[in-house]
Amino acid sequence: MTTQVKEPTAAVAPAIAPETAAAVPAAIAPEVAAIPAAPATADTAAGLTREKRKFTVAEYYRMAEVGILGRDERVELIEGEIIVMAPMGERHANGVRRIDRVLHRALGDAAIISVQCPLRLDDYSEPEPDIALLRLREDEYLDSHPGPADTLVAVEVSDSSLAFDLGDKARRYAAAGIPEMWVMNLPGDCIDRLDQPGPSGYARHTVFRRGDKIRPAALPDLEFAVADLLPPRPAS
Amino acid sequence: MTTQVQEPTTAAAAPAVSPETAAAPAAIPTVSPETAAKPAAMAPDMAAPAAAAPTAGLVPEKRKFTVAEYYRMTELGILDHTERLELIDGEIIVMAAIGVPHAIGVNRLTQAFAEVARNRFTVSVQNPVHLDDYSEPQPDVAIVRLREDSELTAHPGPADTLVAVEVSDSTLVFDLGAKARRYAAAGIQELWVMNLPGDRIDRMDQLGPSGYARHTVFARGENISPGALPDLAFAVADLLPPRTTMQGTARG
Repeated sequence: MTTQVKEPTAAVAPAIAPETAAAVPAAIAPEVAAIPAAPATADTAAGLTREKRKFTVAEYYRMAEVGILGRDERVELIEGEIIVMAPMGERHANGVRRIDRVLHRALGDAAIISVQCPLRLDDYSEPEPDIALLRLREDEYLDSHPGPADTLVAVEVSDSSLAFDLGDKARRYAAAGIPEMWVMNLPGDCIDRLDQPGPSGYARHTVFRRGDKIRPAALPDLEFAVADLLPPRPAS
Repeated sequence: MTTQVQEPTTAAAAPAVSPETAAAPAAIPTVSPETAAKPAAMAPDMAAPAAAAPTAGLVPEKRKFTVAEYYRMTELGILDHTERLELIDGEIIVMAAIGVPHAIGVNRLTQAFAEVARNRFTVSVQNPVHLDDYSEPQPDVAIVRLREDSELTAHPGPADTLVAVEVSDSTLVFDLGAKARRYAAAGIQELWVMNLPGDRIDRMDQLGPSGYARHTVFARGENISPGALPDLAFAVADLLPPRTTMQGTARG
């Protein structure tokens, strides 16, 4: 299995520098084209796996209603598949609490901070990101879960699920139109920011380390020190 | 999995960093002293998370369903009666559409078995076999031992099944791989895979702790016998669909 690590940024960076959306598409096009070639797809084509019966959000809720899915089950619906969420380790929980606290302090009433609540991406996907930064709405989304148009940033704190979160899950968020995703990368002790969404994924992937500051594009006045968001470095 | 890792707007980008950055210099990582100080160290770092991808976390754990939950979904209409599905390892699989050679293969097997079945066994066609709490496939044909009326309260299980037969075209790799392992793990003694691309029948038997120990290929011109019914022999050429129906299916 090959992992494509793009090198082009050295070349691309000068062109991107203005950070204008207009400058990006030309530089991005070849990267996006590379995505469908993912080996996972090849496995399917070779008949190693078979087509799964996908579930809609409505069917998923019905299963919960009738008790096929228990209330205490930690699951989320991703592309019609019901995924069991990994048990949450201490560092993961710590990351969630830190982001929650830091964002609350900075945001005040500028946005809603939603912790481990559903986002309705489309008929087949309803993930529960660790944190979602949502547009302010007076009713706090009483009648419907927030969707991509309501979401400023989705944040996943990732430990064992890192590859899935940066891969399939990010593609799903991007395809649904979530403008920006942060992956708190616990193994890498950094935050991966994915933005510039397109139908096959996020076109830009930037890594923020301790010492860096990260800003949500939708709230450019705010900036957060990465070191304040990450759990303390593990003693090793 | 292709994880796009674009090198951050690191050292190279820094000099060019312009309008937005100028407005808020501290916000862009490239500007931070720590980052700028070791751009060379970052490049390999960057690749690390992505390089880990193939080995871990690519496939998250799916919520598996039991046979009981699967039936409940049909009862409640979450799954429709018209859907062609089977439960394998807790996953609900959509069965592939049945092509012409596949249908002919199923019919020929059924006919050949039925001719000699009387008072010896039941020929069960595309009906469920209950493997365990998480698997209930529907093999194309199964030779099932005769059961008393009083036993007919459940689908036949591994102990009732003398031979399971899958007719395989596009699903060949799955049927010879994951599905065969499932049948073996459940204790199905013998599996035949009518290998349409290969124009032959693959027999898997000698069930052991690590699956079927023997895999035998039967070509046209040969006879094949079920291990549990050794006096019966079927001409492979009578079971396979005629070659003329195989247009569009690659010969193996």
